[in-house]
Amino acid sequence: MAGKGGAAPSTYSPSPTTQKTKSRIFGNDDVDWVRSDGREFHQCRPAFFKTGAVNAAAGSAYAEFGNTKVIVSVFGPRESKKAMMYSDIGRLNCNVSYTTFATPVRGQGSDHKEFSSMLHKALEGAIILETFPKTTVDVFALVLESGGSDLPVVISCASLALADAGIMMYDLVTSVSVSGLGKNLVIDPILEEESYQDGSLMLTCMPSRYEVTQLTITGEWSTPKINEGMQICLDACSKLAVVMRACLKGPDSTLEE
Amino acid sequence: MVGLSIGEKHFIQGGIAQDLRSDGRKRLTTRPIYVETGVISQANGSARVRMGATDVIASVKAELGRPNALQPDKGKVVVNVDCSPTAAPMFEGRGGEELSAELSVALQCCLLGGKSGSGAGIDLSSLVVVEGKICWDLYIDGLVVSSDGNLLDALGAAIKAALSNTGIPKVNVAAGASGDEQPEVDVSDEEFLQFDTSRVPVIVTLTKVGRHYIVDATSEEESQMSSAVSISINRQGHICGLTKRGGAGLDPSIILDMISVAKTVSEQLINTLDSHIAAAEAGEEES
Amino acid sequence: MALPDASGDVLSEMDVDAFRRLFPLRFFETHLVKSTRPDGRSLAEARETSSALGAVASADGSALVKIGSTRMLAAIKMEVMTPSKESPDEGCIAIDFHMPPICSPTVRPGRPAEAAPVVSKQLSDTILRQVKCLSCCSFCGMINLKELSLISGKAAWMAYLDIYCLDADGALFDAALLSAVAAFSHLQIPVVSMNDDGKVVVLSGDHGGKEPVNKGKRKLTLSSIPLSLTCLLHKNYILADPTAEEESVMETLVTVVLDSSGQLVSLYKPGGPVLAYTSAIQDCVALTRQRARELQTILDEVTSGMEVD
Repeated sequence: MAGKGGAAPSTYSPSPTTQKTKSRIFGNDDVDWVRSDGREFHQCRPAFFKTGAVNAAAGSAYAEFGNTKVIVSVFGPRESKKAMMYSDIGRLNCNVSYTTFATPVRGQGSDHKEFSSMLHKALEGAIILETFPKTTVDVFALVLESGGSDLPVVISCASLALADAGIMMYDLVTSVSVSGLGKNLVIDPILEEESYQDGSLMLTCMPSRYEVTQLTITGEWSTPKINEGMQICLDACSKLAVVMRACLKGPDSTLEE
Repeated sequence: MVGLSIGEKHFIQGGIAQDLRSDGRKRLTTRPIYVETGVISQANGSARVRMGATDVIASVKAELGRPNALQPDKGKVVVNVDCSPTAAPMFEGRGGEELSAELSVALQCCLLGGKSGSGAGIDLSSLVVVEGKICWDLYIDGLVVSSDGNLLDALGAAIKAALSNTGIPKVNVAAGASGDEQPEVDVSDEEFLQFDTSRVPVIVTLTKVGRHYIVDATSEEESQMSSAVSISINRQGHICGLTKRGGAGLDPSIILDMISVAKTVSEQLINTLDSHIAAAEAGEEES
Repeated sequence: MALPDASGDVLSEMDVDAFRRLFPLRFFETHLVKSTRPDGRSLAEARETSSALGAVASADGSALVKIGSTRMLAAIKMEVMTPSKESPDEGCIAIDFHMPPICSPTVRPGRPAEAAPVVSKQLSDTILRQVKCLSCCSFCGMINLKELSLISGKAAWMAYLDIYCLDADGALFDAALLSAVAAFSHLQIPVVSMNDDGKVVVLSGDHGGKEPVNKGKRKLTLSSIPLSLTCLLHKNYILADPTAEEESVMETLVTVVLDSSGQLVSLYKPGGPVLAYTSAIQDCVALTRQRARELQTILDEVTSGMEVD
C-alpha cells in the first residue's frame, strides 16, 4: 500500500463504460454515417494559426485544429553542441513532446522519438541549410492537447514557426492526413476516428513547388486508393498553405483560448 | 559515413544514369540473396539474410503474456532492431540509436498494419490462447551484423524468413479456472504450430539518385541519394506501408510511378525469397 | 529577445541595444537611478496579468495565466486511487512543474531545466500545506483533502496537477502558483459511480440507472488562497515582478507568499549576493500584500465569468 507522499500509488482513469459499442459504426461500409463533429468526409477542421506565441524564442507559432493544440518554438541558428563535427551546412534538430494532460488518459509527458524523427524528415528538405553553416536550428514542439492528426498539425505549425524565425526555406511545408475507415477516406481525422482507422496516409508537401517531402502509409492500400488519398491531401495542403500565408502576412490577431 | 572522391561520385551517378551500376547490375536488379534459417537455437525462429555485404539476423521469441485490456482478443508483437557496432563505426555508443529506432518503427508499421489491425502481416488474433487472459507475445529482434545499404529490405526479408521458421508451442489450458483467476497452462515442448507467413509483406526500397531510381542500393549508392521510398507490399500486390527518407521533395506522379515499379520488383522478390526460405528450411531439416 | 524599445532613430537604438548587451548591469542601473525600468514600469509595478479558464478540454480543470510574457498552462486530471491506510478518507494531490524546451532558449530536450524541480517543490509546499490549528482543531490549508474522498478506505481522488511553462520570462513561481489556483477554481470533478467489479466509472448523461457516489461534490472549497510576488533586490532597490533579463543580471530574489487573509505563508530568499535587511523584507511583504489584492481581483473576475454547468 503506497503511503502518503511516498511512491506514487497506482491510479486509474475512471473512463466511461459505454465506449466500446457506439464506435463500431465506422466499420460499416455504408456511406450514410456522419462524422461525430458533423464534418463531411473531405472537409478539414477549421485551422487557426498564430505566430509569435513564445517571446523567448527566435520564432514560434501556435496552431489549433479543433481540439488539437500545439506550440512550436524555433531557436537559433545557434552554436552546435561541442561534440558535433564541423559541418559546412547547418543542422536541424527537432523534438516533439506531449503534455501529461494532452491525451484522454494521463500520459507520462515524455518526448515522442518517432514524431521527432518524422518532423525532422518532413522539414529538412524545405530548409536551405546552406544559409547557416556550422550552426544548429532547434525546432521544439509541444502538443498541449491531442485531438487527432497531431503530427500533421505539428509539421505545419513548425514550418510557420521557422518562417517566423526568419529561417530561409524553399517553401512553407504543409501536412494533412487521411484515415481509411471501411471503404471511406476521411480527411484530418479526430482522435476517435484515428483509433478505429484501417489505414492512414499522411502527406507532407511544399505546395507552391508541388513536391512531396514526406509520405507515410500504414495499413493495407490498393494503388487507386493511394492515388485518391494523395489527391485529397494535396488539395487540402494547398488550401492550408493559403491560411498559413495569410497568418504570416496579416496583422497579428490575439491568442484566443 | 562513406567518404567518396568527386570522381567516384560521378562514376556512381553516371553508371546509374546509363543503367549499368558499379557492380554490373541494372537499376532494378537486386543483389543475390542468401537465406539461412534456424541460426539461433534458443529462439523460436530465426533467420540470417545476406545481400552482398549487408548481413542481418532476425529472431523471433514467443512468450506467454496477458493481452492488453483494450484489445483482449489480440496478442502482442514487439519489433526491435539493433545496429551492431561491428557493422559500422558510426553505430558505436549511441550512434546507431536513431537508425535503430527508425528501422523498428518502419518494420512495426509494415507488419502490424493500421490501428484496427486490418492489413496486418501477422494475424494478431491467432496469437490468443485464452481471450482476455493469455496470449503469445512475439518479440521480433533484428540485428544488423554488417551494413552495406538497403538495411530495411534485408531486415524485412529476414523477419519474413524467421517467422516462417517459427514454431509456436502448443498450449493446453487446464479447464476449471473461472472469474478473475489466471488459468493454468501446460506448454507442450513437442507439438509446435507453424506460423502462417503468406500475408507478411516484403519491403522494397527505391533509392533516387539523380533522375533515376534503383533497387537494393549499396551504401556507396545510398550516399548519393536525394531521397528514398520504402514500400512494403504483400503477395496480393497491396501496399502495406510506405515511408520516405531523404530531404529532397518528390513530384506526386513520381511517387505513384515508384509504387508501380516497386510492385513488379516485389513480385520477383517474394518468389525468390519463398524459394530460398523453402530451400533453407529443407536444408536445415536434413542436417 | 528584443523588447520593444522607446522610439528613436535607428542609429541611437542600435547603440542602446549594444550597450544593453555589453554592459547589462550598467544599463539597468542607469534606469534604476531614475526609478524606472527598461520596459517602462516603475520599480514596484508588476506586469500586466491575465488569466483564462478551461483552456484544455481534455482536462478536468485548467487555466492559462499570463504575467507579461511569462505564460503558464495548468491542468488538472482526476484519477481514482485506493487511499492509504493511515488516512482512509483523504485524497491526494500530485503537483508537477514542467519547463519544456519550447519555453526558453536555455532548456534543451533531455536535460530538465534546473529551475523546474525547485519551483515544483515550492509549489507543492505552498499548495499542500496542512496546518493543524489548535483553535479549530481541524485543517487550515488551501484544499481539504477530505473533499477528495469518494468511499472511505476504498476509493479517493488523486488530482494530478501539471503546470507547463509555455514562455519563460521571469517570475515563474508567481505565474505557476496563480495558474494552479485558477485551475483548482475551474476544476469540475466528474460524476462517478461504483460498478459491479468495484471499479469507479464515469457516469454519462443519463446516469445509467446507477446512483452517483459523489453527488453535489463537484467543486472543491478553496480556503485561504495563497498568492505570491517575487521581488528582486539590487543595492537599495526593490524591483517587483522581474523579467528573465532582470533576473539574469541581478541575482537576489525574494519570494513572498501570503494567503487571502494577508497572513504570511512562506518566504523564500535563496541566497544571492545581496544580504537583505529586515526593512527590505518588510517592504517586499508590503508590495506582496498590494499585489495579492490585485491578483485576487483578477481571479474573482475570471471565476465569476465561468459558467457552472
